[in-house]
Amino acid sequence: MTSVAAAAGVPTKRSGVGHWLDTYRAMLRWEVTGMRLLLPLTVVVQVLIGAGMIVGIAVLFHGIPSRNALFLSTGAAVVTLITVGIVVGPQLVAQQKQMGTYDFVWSLPVPRSAAASAWITLNVLIALPGMVVALLVALVRFDIDLDVSLSVVPAVALTVFCGTLVGYAMAHAIPKPEVTDGIAQVALFTVIGFSPINFPPENMPGWLASLHRYLPFESMANVVRAGLTEGIVHDLARSYAVLAIWSVGCMALTAWALRRH
Amino acid sequence: MTVTDRPWTFYIEDVTKTYDDGATFANDHITFQIRPGEVYGLLGPNGAGKSTLVKQVIGLLKPTSGAITLGPYDLVADPNVARQLCSYLPQAQVPIDSFKVHEALTVSGRIRGGEKEAVRARAEAMIEALAIEEWRDTLGAKLSGGVRRLVGFAMATVWPGLLVILDEPTNDVDPLRRRCLWQEIRRLGAEGAAVLLVTHNVLEAEQSVDRLALIDEGRLIAEGTPSSLKAADRGRLRLQLMLVPGAETPELPALVHDHSRVGNHLVTVIDEGDAADGITWAQQAMASGVAEEYALGATTLEDAYIRLTGQSKEL
Repeated sequence: MTSVAAAAGVPTKRSGVGHWLDTYRAMLRWEVTGMRLLLPLTVVVQVLIGAGMIVGIAVLFHGIPSRNALFLSTGAAVVTLITVGIVVGPQLVAQQKQMGTYDFVWSLPVPRSAAASAWITLNVLIALPGMVVALLVALVRFDIDLDVSLSVVPAVALTVFCGTLVGYAMAHAIPKPEVTDGIAQVALFTVIGFSPINFPPENMPGWLASLHRYLPFESMANVVRAGLTEGIVHDLARSYAVLAIWSVGCMALTAWALRRH
Repeated sequence: MTVTDRPWTFYIEDVTKTYDDGATFANDHITFQIRPGEVYGLLGPNGAGKSTLVKQVIGLLKPTSGAITLGPYDLVADPNVARQLCSYLPQAQVPIDSFKVHEALTVSGRIRGGEKEAVRARAEAMIEALAIEEWRDTLGAKLSGGVRRLVGFAMATVWPGLLVILDEPTNDVDPLRRRCLWQEIRRLGAEGAAVLLVTHNVLEAEQSVDRLALIDEGRLIAEGTPSSLKAADRGRLRLQLMLVPGAETPELPALVHDHSRVGNHLVTVIDEGDAADGITWAQQAMASGVAEEYALGATTLEDAYIRLTGQSKEL
């Protein structure tokens, strides 16, 4: 391709690791600068969601058993990680579509994977303060025993990665931004109220608990919780496998949607 | 990637885009080419299929059939290379609320593959060339629509691809800076880029493009230089009446070949030999209180546009 292009007087196609890293850095700057006005507010909202869940439930229910408190505390941290990807992301893409800026953003000369990675990095930056504050509030409020291991790093990365890809796929595959917005709201409601994130699956109806074995939310909670606690998470390999499958599936769906569009 | 003056050509060959399982043709067997250095206009009424065609060039839509190539590259088969080779300014405003003007340009230049210092120098030069220095450090959210449009243009062209696609670049821009914008568009051509200019502003296009294609209902109905498209109107004149606000269009005499009305402007095309009769008709319209003034002059591309698209009501 190089020699043919040179013969025709056209620059060769840019590719390779160096090009990918250059465009990743440029897109990260694009995303961070683009969110500059909203970033502080978004981080504060995430912090309030995480801390608010712990404080709110502690107000409603007195004398929470320590195991439940541990579930709630680590669950609240996971919720802050998930909501950025599946709520903020789709809403921003929906906004791009409504304002007509979608075509401009997706015509930028960068590899899709570099653009997606920059967005995922920004999501991690937005979500982490909420997670940390939620855990700190839980330590103070419930006096829980955390057992943090290094495995929390890949667990958090994979959870944000998968959550962002779920949001990405949703936002790109659904043509109407209003529908995307609605589904994002339902997803948020499902994550907070009807997923075994803040409580064990045994507390749910059997059919819903079974369904959640194939949805990504319980697995996200499992991998992060395993990195923060000791002895309450089992079948970790399955959770990683579920997240890997969802990530790959959502990547494929996004790629298909962008190609079809 | 920088603009080169070595030989290559951008081709659109027999491109068709259909919807509803082939029932609706957004683009119907469109073929044209643009050479390096050429400013090529794509004209047509709203909904003619111009933007649909452009989206296929940059890989945002896939043609139902046909080929789009630039030099050795197949832009349909490889949308990644299409995005690298083409710079695109969409019709909608660019998302720069959180960006200062100079930041928007430098980040865009870096995304488009320019070196840091070269991009910075080029961004400053463009800010000066477009006469927007006073907004250099202003956030996009605080810019007027016209300045925002100019910034969008600068973002698309601060480090231009070989093919620069501009969709209605002059929208909302004031006359003074509009002139600066056209100079920059001509400069892009002079430096070797092929410029595809999408517009329905026929008068501006006449003065600015080297060649143009006229698209209507998805089909390419005419192509050539502005002069060649006006050739059929040789020997004819444009008689324009400024009607009294709210007045109905006066009855048109048989000597009028084509007409269009936009607001209070009634534009008619008559033969040179009928000039005296045309003036008499215009004066009668003024005397009867229907028109305030009239002007007689050479036909323009707009008249050819009206003739070719068969549009007699509104542009």
